[in-house]
Amino acid sequence: MVIDLKRCVGCQSCTLACKAENGTPPGIFWMRVLSKEEGTYPQARTVFLPIRCNHCDDPPCVPVCPTGASYKREQDNLVLIDQDKCIGCRACIVACPYQVRFIAEDSKGYYGEKLTPYEEEHYRQWQPRTVQKCTFCAHRIDQGLEPACVQTCPTQALVCGDLNDPESEISRLLRARVNFPPRAELGTQPSLFYLT
Amino acid sequence: MTQNFTVELRGQEEWAWLVAIDLFLGGLGGGLFLLFKIFSLPPFVGLVALALVILGALVLFAELGRPVRAWRAIARPLTSWISRGVIAVSLFIAAGALSVAPSLSIFSFLPWNQATTAGTVLGAVAAVAAFFVALYPGFVLSASPSIPFWNSPLLPVLFLFSSLLGAAGIALLLSPLGIPGGALEPIISLAALLIAANLGLVAVHLTTLSRSAEAARESVRRLNRGTLGWTFKLGVILVGMLLPLSIIAWLPPVVSQVEPSAAIAAGASILIGGLLFRYCILKAGVYVAFPLA
Repeated sequence: MVIDLKRCVGCQSCTLACKAENGTPPGIFWMRVLSKEEGTYPQARTVFLPIRCNHCDDPPCVPVCPTGASYKREQDNLVLIDQDKCIGCRACIVACPYQVRFIAEDSKGYYGEKLTPYEEEHYRQWQPRTVQKCTFCAHRIDQGLEPACVQTCPTQALVCGDLNDPESEISRLLRARVNFPPRAELGTQPSLFYLT
Repeated sequence: MTQNFTVELRGQEEWAWLVAIDLFLGGLGGGLFLLFKIFSLPPFVGLVALALVILGALVLFAELGRPVRAWRAIARPLTSWISRGVIAVSLFIAAGALSVAPSLSIFSFLPWNQATTAGTVLGAVAAVAAFFVALYPGFVLSASPSIPFWNSPLLPVLFLFSSLLGAAGIALLLSPLGIPGGALEPIISLAALLIAANLGLVAVHLTTLSRSAEAARESVRRLNRGTLGWTFKLGVILVGMLLPLSIIAWLPPVVSQVEPSAAIAAGASILIGGLLFRYCILKAGVYVAFPLA
């Protein structure tokens, strides 16, 4: 995936689309847009940084997992979690330099103990007290669809595709624009690049 | 519900008191078993070591989100230090229990003891496992590239030394119950040596990190200021290291003349410092900054 920082306006549409698609519990955001103020008046501005799991090539969260619950899916290198194997030790949460892994302590909904029908349906996708994270909408990818955040972004700041295909839009953008993978110095080899 | 998504540095909040207690008890038990074997301490010391590691494992169960699945934690010894640690703890509990059981009268029917080959092998296996039990927590933390304060080769050494120091502390605490003076003398010297080594290692670690990247500097800042600063400076350095070092320095040269209260005070202060040391190391963990920070 590439994220064009010049296009991102910080509208949090991706954040909401992710919540709507994956039904994550309160306080947990698999995708979110951070903001930072730069400069001083009258040259002050806000810069935005959408963050999410980078589905790294060498993810530090996978080897630290003692049960094998965190794994890389063979066909597309997505970093996923088998929640039936997760023991909730949180080693992967502290190993991730991007702070994009979460643990839901309980199954509370946005409106208290009683879940809405929508929450009841979506909360079946994850288990309380196990780790959860962005799946790159694997269920949508498997149907040939784009992740919800990509499809929703009104400024088309998010682009996903095949990095191994030199003709894909993502490859073209990476060739044409200055870009950086987040915290590449940590050796995680993220599969996400920010365009500047 | 409003959310504030900012790029400020964030300390880890996943591991706190329960993990600190687990690491403390495990390290203490592993270290104590090593002292038990090295200095041929009375059998009750081996039992205490075993009990501490078992207690630590129980605390770890309480910390897990899904403790019923804890057996799965042995699945990835090739890559995960937690897996290796769980295997070492299990091996230690099994071999340690079999090794010290004959010293209890109710298990006197067992066909091995410390003098037989089987007993020696069991003791050696338990000692090796105990060494790993004391060593692995440092590697669990140092394997995290996300937290520069932990991601250092010094951390496993610090944890090992701290575990051995804690073991010396509990040996001092237990000394009135029947640890002979001949065995206590080298333990007192070892405690003094380990306090000096730990002080040096902590100083090197903090000095190095205070000149590193932003997250590491923030960790050092947190250890110097605020509530954590008081816990670290008063609890870890003063109570956990300088106080027992002073008590040891004032002990009479003849161990038989050592007041039990002095040994207990030195041991207790070492233990308090050891627990707070682990808590401070955990709470000082700050994640690397976000790319735009």
